[in-house]
Amino acid sequence: MYRSAKVVAVALLWFGQGLLNAQEFKLLGRTVQVHGFASQGFVYTNDNNWLTMDTSDGSGAFTDFGLNLSAPITDRLRVGAQVYDRNLGQLGQYHPSLDWAVADYRFRNWLGFRGGKVKTRLGLYNDTQDQDFLRVFALLPQSVYPTDLRDATIAHVGGDIYGNVSLGHSIGDLFYTAYVGHRSDSIYSGIAYLLTEYGIVGSSYRGLQYGGDLRWNTPAKGLLIGASRLNEDLTDHATIQNPFNPGGGSIPFVAVSKADWLNQFYGEYVVRKLRIDAEYRRNLHDEIINGALLHSIIDARGWYVSGAYRVRKRLEAGSYYSRYSITSVAGGPLAPLFGVNQTDTGLPANHIYDKVITGRVDLNRFWNVKVEGHFMDGYGTTTYPDGFYPQVNPRGFKPNTRALVLKTAVYF
Amino acid sequence: MQKWRALSLIAVAVLLGCACALASEVKVIANSSVKVDTISAAELKKVFLEQRISLSDGTHVEPVLEKDGPVHEAFLQQCLGGTDDDLQNYYRALVFSGRGSMPKQLDSDAEVVAYVARTRGAIGYVAAETSTEGVKLLAIGDSKSEGGRKLIQRVEPTYPETLRRLGIGGIVRLHVTISAKGNVENVELLGGNPILGESAIAAVKQWVYSAGRSQTVVEVSIPFDSKH
Repeated sequence: MYRSAKVVAVALLWFGQGLLNAQEFKLLGRTVQVHGFASQGFVYTNDNNWLTMDTSDGSGAFTDFGLNLSAPITDRLRVGAQVYDRNLGQLGQYHPSLDWAVADYRFRNWLGFRGGKVKTRLGLYNDTQDQDFLRVFALLPQSVYPTDLRDATIAHVGGDIYGNVSLGHSIGDLFYTAYVGHRSDSIYSGIAYLLTEYGIVGSSYRGLQYGGDLRWNTPAKGLLIGASRLNEDLTDHATIQNPFNPGGGSIPFVAVSKADWLNQFYGEYVVRKLRIDAEYRRNLHDEIINGALLHSIIDARGWYVSGAYRVRKRLEAGSYYSRYSITSVAGGPLAPLFGVNQTDTGLPANHIYDKVITGRVDLNRFWNVKVEGHFMDGYGTTTYPDGFYPQVNPRGFKPNTRALVLKTAVYF
Repeated sequence: MQKWRALSLIAVAVLLGCACALASEVKVIANSSVKVDTISAAELKKVFLEQRISLSDGTHVEPVLEKDGPVHEAFLQQCLGGTDDDLQNYYRALVFSGRGSMPKQLDSDAEVVAYVARTRGAIGYVAAETSTEGVKLLAIGDSKSEGGRKLIQRVEPTYPETLRRLGIGGIVRLHVTISAKGNVENVELLGGNPILGESAIAAVKQWVYSAGRSQTVVEVSIPFDSKH
């Protein structure tokens, strides 16, 4: 708590200096832009601990910051990189990561190439999910953008082709992205943390990711619709306490994808001061663990509808309804260790329905404060996490959770 | 009698000139490397949203904005739609996801003109009365029904010498009805100085567009710059 407060204080001072100074400088005749952000949150819940924080006592272990540099090399070539760091309860733990680092060459308006570590275009907000200051909400709907699992979708090391095509005034514009790359989760991610509950240590899912995103800026003013697809072929090498010989040391834990994909459909409508978003995501993980010892199929589905309205120049209000459900089926000799099949999404253990209301105040162009209330039904904690973890709820879960989230962010 | 009519028209023109300045009517300017003289409102919007890095003729382009003020607000309202907060968040989303950079944002018309003059491909906007020496003015042509009616023959309007001497200029906005064959059937004045409007209407009536499937209505903006 004190450590995070100190880090944020230093970051705020640093950013304060940054605001006073120019946000760009010249290097080898090129203009280098510098941009950054820092945010600090506080979460209090009435019952269950949430997002790996000790929220039932109130927790400020909710900090993140980032800094990027970018420069044009030619009219068509731009390079840049961003460092990102966060502490979210047990996750992140202030281990900085290279968030993105790209060389971006735009051949034509309709054809560009981005290579390096590239943020993954997935739905409306995947690639900007860490920058809550871009939106009214402190937390995006966790049914579609689970912040504890950001590593799974946030970026890939590889390449994208992208562009936009004008279809004419009466048809609108198409924006496309297609990508292929390598995913590599941090050992401080939500999945790795969840697996420690089963004695699995050092988990880091990694492997091939490929997919695409297509969005249509329709001729109806302010209306955009789109679809994204992500395919994965992952492997996780970790260790697990020998389940057949407790006390006999660790044995390798190897999980391999059999089928792993994600579909997302979305729409956005903006008219004057009103913004309405809706998204649906389905994520299927079918994996084989240690040969035939365990076969696990997890099917997570989520959707939300949100609305945001700018009441005054510096005041914005928003609300969303987010609905998440998960089913889990396991087979093989190790299946009993990971729980019985869970297919009844009516049970609180297999869903989270979240009603949210938010207010955002912009203190100036570079600093905002948010107050957000969550009213959650269910805790959705099967063999795949979404905010609620047994390790920080040792006495079990209550069916409902109310949460108060306060968050402030500075950015330039 | 004709003298009185001319004087009264000039008086109206001067008043309208002031009104335009107060209403912060904007004109779009470009670096001399930008080859086109006209840009559609849709394409201009895409340039400012960094969705276009080159125009249809291949010219590289780069948007330049003002930080705030009535000219900026007018441009947002007339060309981009949405608030400054929306626009800044749009740019920040590009910047923090690695998909783009923050465009140049300057404090005044004079700074914008100076930057556009020295930066290849730069496109900016300034108040209508701003001196635009060293940069070119871009006319805005916006197809509202069926885009892509290419202008084949353009006749430049005559700048009335009296107004030029008095330094009265600005942008004239016209509603142009184009027949399926490409001839201009009708021209209506939407805004701007009425004397300049008369001159613009006379010229635009001689324009010829490419043939289309049906009648098309487009909005055309024609700049009159007394310094040029």
